[in-house]
This record gives sequence, structure tokens and C-alpha cells, in this order.
Amino acid sequence: MGLGLLASKAMRPASRIFNSQNPRNFLFRTIVSKPELQKPETSAAQAQPDPPPVDLPPRTPVAGARVHFPNPDDAIEVFVDGYPVKIPKGMTVLQACEVAGVDIPRFCYHSRLSIAGNCRMCLVEVEKSPKPVASCAMPALPGMKIKTDTPVAKKAREGVMEFLLMNHPLDCPICDQGGECDLQDQSMAFGSDRGRFTEMKRSVVDKNLGPLVKTVMTRCIQCTRCVRFATEVAGVQDLGMLGRGSGEEIGTYVEKLMTSELSGNVIDICPVGALTSKPFAFKARNWELKGTESIDVTDAVGSNIRIDSRGPEVMRIVPRLNEDINEEWISDKTRFCYDGLKRQRLNDPMIRGADGRFKVVSWRDALAVVAEVAHQVKPEEIVGVAGKLSDAESMMALKDFLNRMGSNNIWCEGTGMNPNADLRSGYLMNTSIAGLEKADVFLLVGTQPRVEAAMVNARIRKTVRANQAKVGYIGPETDLNYDHQHLGTGPQTLLEIAERRHPFYSTLANAKHPVIIVGAGLFEREDKDTIFSTVETIAENAKVVRPDWNGLNVLLLNAAQAAALDLGLVPESGNSIESAKFVYLMGADDVNLDKIPGDAFVVYQGHHGDRSVYRANVIFPAAAFSEKEGIYENTEGYAQQTFPAVPTVGDARDDWKIIRALSEVAGIKLPYDSLGAIRARIRTVAPNLVHLDEREPATFTASLKPASSQKITLTPFENVVENFYMTDSITRASKIMAQCSALLTKK
Amino acid sequence: MSFTLRSVKVPPNSVNLEEARHRVFDFFRSACRSLPTVMEIYNLHDVATISQLRSAIATQFRKNSSVTNPKVIDMLLFKGMEELNNVVEHAKQRHHIIGQYVVGRQGLVQDLDTKDQGISNFLKNFYNSNYF
Repeated sequence: MGLGLLASKAMRPASRIFNSQNPRNFLFRTIVSKPELQKPETSAAQAQPDPPPVDLPPRTPVAGARVHFPNPDDAIEVFVDGYPVKIPKGMTVLQACEVAGVDIPRFCYHSRLSIAGNCRMCLVEVEKSPKPVASCAMPALPGMKIKTDTPVAKKAREGVMEFLLMNHPLDCPICDQGGECDLQDQSMAFGSDRGRFTEMKRSVVDKNLGPLVKTVMTRCIQCTRCVRFATEVAGVQDLGMLGRGSGEEIGTYVEKLMTSELSGNVIDICPVGALTSKPFAFKARNWELKGTESIDVTDAVGSNIRIDSRGPEVMRIVPRLNEDINEEWISDKTRFCYDGLKRQRLNDPMIRGADGRFKVVSWRDALAVVAEVAHQVKPEEIVGVAGKLSDAESMMALKDFLNRMGSNNIWCEGTGMNPNADLRSGYLMNTSIAGLEKADVFLLVGTQPRVEAAMVNARIRKTVRANQAKVGYIGPETDLNYDHQHLGTGPQTLLEIAERRHPFYSTLANAKHPVIIVGAGLFEREDKDTIFSTVETIAENAKVVRPDWNGLNVLLLNAAQAAALDLGLVPESGNSIESAKFVYLMGADDVNLDKIPGDAFVVYQGHHGDRSVYRANVIFPAAAFSEKEGIYENTEGYAQQTFPAVPTVGDARDDWKIIRALSEVAGIKLPYDSLGAIRARIRTVAPNLVHLDEREPATFTASLKPASSQKITLTPFENVVENFYMTDSITRASKIMAQCSALLTKK
Repeated sequence: MSFTLRSVKVPPNSVNLEEARHRVFDFFRSACRSLPTVMEIYNLHDVATISQLRSAIATQFRKNSSVTNPKVIDMLLFKGMEELNNVVEHAKQRHHIIGQYVVGRQGLVQDLDTKDQGISNFLKNFYNSNYF
């Protein structure tokens, strides 16, 4: 018996006196072994009645949680550790505790998944209940007195931890979850300091879930979060529980890979190290990493991400919470494209010599050559194309530069030759991504959200599950992971709906919140104006656009598109590239290079040696999205900005700086020297782009547009995204994405 | 370090500017006389000539041409002798000599050009690095 124990025994009477006077005085609390915990029932019975809670300090809810009362009459009052808290009816005990500012330990409970209640870690004591209750599965009842800090609750948690650790391997030193493991943290906080288990631990065969998720199934604690995620959010029935009792394990029923575009999220929701990232395995520890809050650019959703880097290297990408856009999930392309940032990078300015090989030159020489050539051609022969990943600043600079050269032939990839940039409602997702949750009927026209914007698809799936919303789809055969009607493949069906001949029209017209989503792939079609006016006719007939509800949406494909159309990157003439003599490709890798005449001088500014580099005469190395500060607007008109997580590669420069420098060498100096100055310039053109982190909805609706008189062609809609895993220069350079497209895409 | 300290004796202070000046010239001469040895031991024949090194030394002297306080001159002289001793004793390596006296402060990047006369600060910074 140590001195401390003696001292604490001597102190205890005094401390009890103090406690009865002031319950918040912990001055005399010492660390002792827990005699109360040995016999929690008796000590609970002995516990003297608590003094009335006179001045309990107000507590803040866990993680700033806010309570929304759908109906004020349904509010009930419960007491958490003696503290009264008002919550709406139907909340669970665990949620009530969170509102009261008490964080309950849990493994199986996840706020976005259904409740399983099988880990038993969230046990709390409820007055008049004979046993501790699993708070995640117990609805809170009026007047319930919940106690989270009693000996019974503590003893229950300690017991649960002991059972969980019984079969959990002691391999934390080689586990990738180490440092961010719920089991580690909670066993430190709530577990016992010793175990009583001396038998052999059980072991489980590892499953092969594909190139993204590494499994060490012995570490699994059977919380079933991954199973619930796969069936509920991702919409694939690949994972399940097999076996009973101690033989219970998670697995794919047959030897099968997990083919979901959201599969990487099981890594985040796994509370232990059973499911970890395969590309990140044994690469770094989470405490060595520097997190940078940034934005994803691989699609037009603009998912919020955190880029974890160590020194000059991006080690991983994880999601960041944004309820309006991606909730807390990201697609596999977003999560695993980062190894593309290390391959095929352009790091020096280069000029193609007479022998057809690139020669490294200094910035001074490269800029001088380009400026000279640009002055030798006629202004109307100058063409600029912004790429899929361009930020708003660089597109503004490119447009200003070309305008000063006398040319107005500038556009962004994927917007087509004749984009409708006049009204923002004509190219934005007017309902907003979060707004889709209200919808009850969807009509998808020429868009496959599952591959074009995986997070929007997850939102549609959530709505379909929650509201039983009906989905009608017009386009080529596709695999959507929710119930849908395949109405047709081309404009024919669209015309039938517009003429109210199609049965789906009545579904749409009877809906309370109908939503029409048109794919941006249609921008490239010849008869795009007619198709859009047909869609508008449908919208008008079915009352999709009302003062209180705008259900007419366009789903864009690329991160740069919305900002490009906001900035007015619209080409003057449709076929300018065929007669071009000087082509400035700013990260544009998907332009049809055969259209560029053979004698044209092509400048490629970008970060990857991708398709366009083969045609380029001069290469300017630029910074990738992980290395620069840039504004991106997502498909719903939400402006966000990236932040540099790692330094630029080699002699690369930020995109807008290159154009600014080129303009000075060419003798037409652009009037901005800093990021602030170029944003001030953007403010004069498109002020919504500098209002960061807020959604700017379109003001006018499409009804103002004149009717189109084009002839509609009946060619069916085409697949826009051939391969979900490889859509831009970063993902095409990524080895992981190559493995995914080899293994996971359906042939 | 000990051999350096052994060989460099602290001379008595110069009484006036005239004496300090005399000592500076003496030191310059001794530095120039040691140049052939320096060329030999650091194998500098393919990167520099004796006259280039001599003018590099002269530049170092001229840098302090405005100093008039004999005490300061004595101090600078002492530092110069120490440096010369280090060089002659082969206490340095080849790249030290090349870096300090052959290539000079400018470094290997000879980015300053006559063309750069009229350009803005932005472009000057742009040529140097991405971060400004």
C-alpha cells in the first residue's frame, strides 16, 4: 500500500465534507484504485441524494451540435447528469447527451448510418431502469434521468472494453490506424489497466477488397459500420456479416472486390485498423502529417478535403465535413488521386527544338519566345483554352491577356463552342446539392451522376432511400445504385415527355418537389439549344420552376466550368481552333489536337505531361491544385478556395503568375501583381466568385431566354465519362487510379 | 583549429593610418604570392586563372575601402590573414574556394541581364521563385 493511498484515505472524510458543500470542488480528488467499481450496485445504493442542481454552468453541445425542433410542441425535457436539456421527440439518449455536452463513447453508432446497437460501448445508467441501457438505440423519454458518469456506467464501459480487447491483436505499433484509432483512445480513457485474458486470441483471414482498402480482419471489432455504409450510403451489397458468435466476421460473401465509387469512406468510418488505406499503408504516421484544408478539383462538386502532407509530399487526402456539399464522404477518385501528383510532373520550362525533342530553357527565354510568336500572328488567329482544373484567377488572367492581344477566342474545356453563359441558372445546379434531399421525383437527362459527380449521386440515393423518390433516367444504359426507370436513350423520349405523351410526365407533374438534372455532356452536342429548350418546356409544363422551388439543374463535369462561364469564357467563333496560328492551352488536355493546324504554335501551360504535351511547342510548368491558392466554383455556384499544402515542383510557377509575366514580356502588362489585385479584378467581372464559402444562387430563371429554332437530331445521348477513375491529367498520371480502372470498371 | 591559431600571430596594433595602410599592401602582396600554391592544391586550373583570383581578392579589399579607423583595419587584416592561412593550409575544400572566390556571390545562376533593366519587380521576382 503506497503512501498516496494512505494519504487519500486520510483525506477522504474532508473531501466528502467539501463535496457536500460544493459539488464542483475537486481539489482533494486523488487517484486511487476503485473500490466503488468493484461493487458498483452497492455503492450506487449508498450514494447520498444529490444536492439540488442550483447553479450548474451552461454546457455547450458536443462539436457545436445544434438542435432543430421540427415541431415546437414535440420538445421533451430530459436530465443528463442532473442538467436539464430540451430535445425534440424521437432523439436517442445518446443524442440527448450530446446536446447536453456529454460525449458518450461509442464504436458502432454513426450519426449518418442506421443504428445497430451491437458494440455496447455507449452504455449509460438511466434511473429506474434495472440495467444500463445502450444509449445509441434507446429513445429518450420525457423526464428521463440519464447518468453518464456513475460507477455503474463506468464499470459497464470497462467491461465492454475488456471484451473488445480480448480478441483484438496487440499490433498497434505496426497498425496504420495508430494515433487516430477509436479503440486506442477509448481504451485509454475508459478501459481497465489490466486484462484477465490469458487464452489465445482468435484470428481472421484477411479479405481482398480491391486496390484501395487494405483489410486486417483480426483487428475487426464487428461494429458493422462498414456493412451499413456499403448498403445504405454506397448502395452496394458487397459487405456483410458471416458466422455466429466468436466465429462472426465481416466479409464479401464470395471472393469479390468492393466495386463502389465511395469505398474509400469505409477507411474513415472504421473505428479500428481493420480497414485502412492500401496506398497509404506503412507510409506515414498521422502525427507527422500537416493538414491543409482544401478543395477537391477532380469533379465539379468541389468536395471539401484535407490534404495531409509530409514535407514536399502529399501523403493522403481525407474528407472534411461540409453538410452542403459532400457531408463527410468523398469519392475514391478524390481520395486516391494524390499519387498522380508525384508522377509525370512538368518541372522546367521547355522548348521543342528542331529535332522534335524538348530542351530545358530558362523562364526568361521561354517567355521571350512565346511573346515574340504571339506578336507575329494576327489577333484573330490567337486561341486560348482553359483546362478542366483551372482556377478562376488564371482564367481571368488568360482572358485579359488574350483580350489585350486582340483576340476573344477563349473558352474552357467541356463547355462547348456556343455555351449559354448569359444566365447563371442555365448552367448551375439551381436546387443546390443539399436541396436535392427535398425532392420526390428526379428526371436525369443525359447524365450519369454516379460517374460524373459521385457525391451528387450519393445525395440522390439518400433522397431515394429517405423519401422513396422516383428516378427517371434518359441516356445510355448505365448502373445507378438506386431504383430507377430507364425511360429512353435519346431526345425522342425527351420530346415525348415535353408533349405530355410519356407516362413519366404525370409522375413529374404530380410531384411536389420535382427535379430535372441535365448533364453537361450535352453542351457538346450540335442541337444543345433545342434540347435545353425542350427541357425548359418540360419544366414549365410540370411546374418544376416555381417561386419557392427551382428544380431545373445542370450538372457540370469539371471543377473549372462554373467559374469559366461566370467569367465569360465564351469563344467568339465556333471554329476558331481550325484556323488558329497560336494556341494557348492552359492545362487543357482534352481538346481535339487533330483540329489544331500543323503550322500552329502551341503553348502548353500545366502541371502534368499529359496528352497536349505531345503537340506543344513550348511548355510552361505550372502548379497543381495542391500547391496553389485558387478559387473554384462548384456546380451549384458555391465558391471555395484551395490552399497550398506542398511547395511547387521544380521551377514551376502559379498559373496566373505565368500569364502575368508573359503579358509583361509581350509588352501588354496586365495591371495586377498580387493575388489580392487579381481577385479585385475578378470582383468587377463576377463578384460571386470572391464571396468564398457561400452559395450564390442564380437570380433570373431561364424563362427569359428566347426560343431556339434549331433542328433537333435524334441521335441518342452518349456516355460522357468513359472511365470514372481517369478523367483529368492528375488522375491519368496516378498509378492507383490505373489499377482501379483495370480492376473495378465493368467491362 | 589549433594549427591556425599557432600560425597566425596577433601583430601589435598599428599606431596610425599610414602604418595600417602599409600592412594592408603587404598582406595583399603575400596573398597574391600564395596564389600559385592555391591553384595547385585546389586544382583550380580548369575553373579559374591567377588573375581572376587576384581580382577576386582585390574586390574583397575594395569592399572595405571606406574604412579609416586603424583599429578596424587591423581587425579586418587579422580576419584576412586567418582566411588566407586556412586556404593555404588546405583547411578548405575545393568547392569552398570555387563558391567563394571563383563563382562569387552571384551564384551559378547568371540571371541578371541587360534585358532586365526596364522590367517590373513582379517579373524580377517571378524569374527568381514562385514564392513572393
